[in-house]
Amino acid sequence: MSRTTLIIKNDIKRRLKAPMATVLFLVIPMAMTALIGMIFNPGSGNETKLPAIKLLLVDKDKGLASKFLIGAFDQKEIKDMFQMTLVDEAEGEKLMKKGKASAMLIIPEHFSDDLAEQKTSTLEVVKNPAEEFLPGVAEEFANTMAVGLSAIAQVFADELKIIRSASKLDLEAISIAELTPFLEMARIKIIALKSYLSPLLLQLKTSTTAKPGKAVKPAGFNIFAYIMPGMLIMFLLFIIEAFMREIQSERGDGKIRRMMFSPLTTRELIAARLFSGWLMGVLICSLAMAMGTLLFRIDWGNPLLVFILVMVSCFWCAAFFGMLNAFFKNKNQAGAFSSPIILVFAAFGGSMLPLEQIPPGMRWLSKFTVNNWFITGSQQIMD
Amino acid sequence: MQQTILEIKNLSKSYGDITALANFSLNLGKGEVLGLLGPNGAGKTTLISILSSTLLDFTGTVAFKGQDLFSDRRLKNLIGIVPQEMAFYEDLGALENLMFWGGLYDIPEKELKKRALELLAVVELSARAKEPIKKFSGGMKRRLNIAIGLVHQPELLLLDEPTVGIDVQAKVNILDIIRNVGQQGTSVIFTTHQLSEVEQICSRIAIMDKGVILAEGTLAKLIRIVGEKEIVDVSGEFTADSFSEIIKLADGDGIEILSIADNQALLAFANSDRIPAMMQHLFKHHLHISDLKIKSPNLEAVFLKMTGRSLRD
Repeated sequence: MSRTTLIIKNDIKRRLKAPMATVLFLVIPMAMTALIGMIFNPGSGNETKLPAIKLLLVDKDKGLASKFLIGAFDQKEIKDMFQMTLVDEAEGEKLMKKGKASAMLIIPEHFSDDLAEQKTSTLEVVKNPAEEFLPGVAEEFANTMAVGLSAIAQVFADELKIIRSASKLDLEAISIAELTPFLEMARIKIIALKSYLSPLLLQLKTSTTAKPGKAVKPAGFNIFAYIMPGMLIMFLLFIIEAFMREIQSERGDGKIRRMMFSPLTTRELIAARLFSGWLMGVLICSLAMAMGTLLFRIDWGNPLLVFILVMVSCFWCAAFFGMLNAFFKNKNQAGAFSSPIILVFAAFGGSMLPLEQIPPGMRWLSKFTVNNWFITGSQQIMD
Repeated sequence: MQQTILEIKNLSKSYGDITALANFSLNLGKGEVLGLLGPNGAGKTTLISILSSTLLDFTGTVAFKGQDLFSDRRLKNLIGIVPQEMAFYEDLGALENLMFWGGLYDIPEKELKKRALELLAVVELSARAKEPIKKFSGGMKRRLNIAIGLVHQPELLLLDEPTVGIDVQAKVNILDIIRNVGQQGTSVIFTTHQLSEVEQICSRIAIMDKGVILAEGTLAKLIRIVGEKEIVDVSGEFTADSFSEIIKLADGDGIEILSIADNQALLAFANSDRIPAMMQHLFKHHLHISDLKIKSPNLEAVFLKMTGRSLRD
């Protein structure tokens, strides 16, 4: 066993023999995440933004009305609510089976013609059974659209016929004088459009995919997933700092002197200390993330990317506090300086306040904090 | 002739204006137990720090078995150190500590374990080998501290005040261990404030102060420095100045002041017949004497004569 490995093994063994401090550091971020999450969760009456609903749209009509319907999804408010993807029916079914969307809306063939001719037409909504309520939102929206379009089609039936026939004519052949009576009629109808419309020309057919697909990842919806990365990196800083501060104790009580008297080189000692701090950080962070998944149902995203992020962040913490301890004279000095540094990192890096709420003048500071890197990185991986 | 294992030549080290070591030179033979005596600030710890490679900014040379001590890191496998501090992990057991500290040296694991178990028996800790050290008494911790310094079977052992803060029984145990180590052929440099310890276990004694060796040799050789004189330890209520003045007024032939401080003086008389006359002289000058002890020449007298101050100064 190399001397470096021996020191690392010894450090880990000692931590395992007295795990209370480590357990405490592990429990505190979980407790804080739970507490903050419970205060701000959707059930407590505060506004929480829903994630964009993934909706597949199959346009079998490709006419004026279907274009109007598709165009509706391009409106800003609707766009925020729906992430619409235009697909053909076969592809849509395939994606639904894979659970890649919350719902699929099928616009039938001759949809525009049927509307113009006041015939009944059916919009079909296929829902993802693996999801609880997002497909329901899509269905409700389609229903509203059907009511709206039915109303328009009924009230402006004459105008629609003219528009339909005009679309087949040369526009230059149509005079304004010929159109004026129809425009006047449309104006009167718009003013009078408060009466009840029945029956609806558009009907809604709802179905679900036979094979339950995977639930579409509700990105960002879990409030705990927003809070926990910030808490985790803050306490990771505390954990690794406490670990690296032991260098001061070992220097004070003669252990370093005794070690350096053995054939151990300075390089081996530094490598062992950095690796120990890093390893402890990675273990605790992994454990905390697993607990986050179990307790708060946090989906951390691609495990490989998350692991890389954790490894890099922990190494930065170990190296940073290893370097700081080279400047400190004793354990007390290290403790007195390190805690404020961690708190400043937490305040500017997004552990205490969401990054968006940090005053813009100070926001640039957060770019220099490991908290910001970790929080931004984990959110990007989760998205 | 005894083989020289350690040769220190012209070692100098200063901390700003303070000289810790000034052209310090010393030789140590194989199996020799050298007691290094000196008051606080004499340079003992600086010497140990240089020998243990934790202080590198110095001038002079240190040869270990004929080789520059600092040229080859592997030489460290042959030297053990027992620092003044309890330098081990208190949350681990004695055996775990021995395995860890021994593991830093180039010893195969199997051999290391055998050696660690043997040492635990030597320091009488076998029964509590697995118990966390934080539960140990001060004496047990000191014994373990020494065992860690010996776990890699060094040829030279540096002990920096290994008996500080322990009871008499524990001290006797530790001195026995050190004596046995020397008898088994390991050379030892032993710094202490306790003259009696040095008298008991050291084959050679060096008295140092202000970074230099003032006297060195066997106990008998050092005592000859004081000569065949009677040592008188006087205690009472007086100042150092008033005592000196009164002594000067007497016929001072054959009387030597070895050390003097307020309320305490150490005098050497070439002829013991003169002691009653001197006492009468002191009483005549109304000096209040509360205690007077007549001793044979000892290491304390030598130390006081050489340094002019007591070990605790």
